[in-house]
Amino acid sequence: MNISSRQLNAFAVAAVLATFAFHSGAALAGHDSIQVDPALKRYAGQITALGTPDAKGDIYSFRAKRLPSAPAFAPDELRGWRLTLLAGKRFSHVFEVRRNTGAEITVAPLDGPLNGIAVSDVFVLENIAIDRASSPQ
Amino acid sequence: MNRFARVAARVALIGCVSAAAAQETRLPAEVVDAFHAALRNKDTAGALSLLDRGLVVYEFGAVDPTVEAYAFSHLPFDMDVAVATQWKLETRRTGGEGGLRWVLSTYRVTGRQSDGTAIDQTTLETVILRRSGERFRIVHFHWSTSDPAFQARVQSRRPKDR
Repeated sequence: MNISSRQLNAFAVAAVLATFAFHSGAALAGHDSIQVDPALKRYAGQITALGTPDAKGDIYSFRAKRLPSAPAFAPDELRGWRLTLLAGKRFSHVFEVRRNTGAEITVAPLDGPLNGIAVSDVFVLENIAIDRASSPQ
Repeated sequence: MNRFARVAARVALIGCVSAAAAQETRLPAEVVDAFHAALRNKDTAGALSLLDRGLVVYEFGAVDPTVEAYAFSHLPFDMDVAVATQWKLETRRTGGEGGLRWVLSTYRVTGRQSDGTAIDQTTLETVILRRSGERFRIVHFHWSTSDPAFQARVQSRRPKDR
C-alpha cells in the first residue's frame, strides 16, 4: 500500500488529537493505564507556513498551529526549548528554539537550518535543553 | 569477575547507553536497550533514531500503524512512564537471521503512579528489527502485560475510536 506523507501526517494529527483530547492532567501512558506525571512540559504543533529564507536560502523559522487547538504561545515562552520534528524529511531532527511569537517559531542557527521541512509537518516542543553531546544528528 | 560484578557491570552499561552510543550499536538487543535508555533520558530524537520508518506498534490492544503516529501519540507517554518507573530485565531471547531479527523480553516494571498507587507488573515485549545499512532499527513493537486485571482496565479506558 502506497501511503503519501500527507496521508501519514493526517493520520498522525488525528492520532495526537485523539490522544491529547483523551489525556488530561497526568499522562495516561502508552504503557496504559499507568498514570504518571509528565516527565517534562511539552506541546505538539503543526507547520502552517515556512519562514522567509535568508540570503543563502536557508530557513530558520516557520509558522505553526498548536495541536490540539490551544491559545497562542506567549512571546518567547519557548526560548531554549527543544523542537523535534516528528514527520517529513527532517523526521527526528532536533533544534533549539531561539525565539517565538504567538504563531511563529525561530530556531537557533547552532543546529543548522530547517531546510526540508514542509507545511503540515508535525513536531513536539519540549521544555528541556538539547544534549548535543549525545544528539544523534 | 564474579557474578555480582558482571551483573553490576551490565546494569551500569545499560544505564550509560546514550543516544550517540546507540548510533554505534550493532546488536539488535543493544538497540532495544538503547531505545529504553533514550526514553529514560528524555531523549526524543535518540529514541526516534532507533526506529525504522516502517514502524508499526501494537501496544496493549492499541495500534500505531506508522512511526509518525507512534511518535505523536504514544512515545511521549512511554517516555513519561520510563522516567517514572524502573524496568528490570528478567528474561530475553533473541533470534532471526540476516536483515531481520527479533528480541523477546520480559521486564518487571515497578514504581508509583501520580496518586501514589504502586506499580508492580510484568511487561512482555516483542521487538522485530530490520537492518538498514549498517544499523538495525526497530520495525515493530508489541507490548502487553501478564496482569489480566491491568489489561481489562486498559481496554475499558481506551476510547472507542482508537
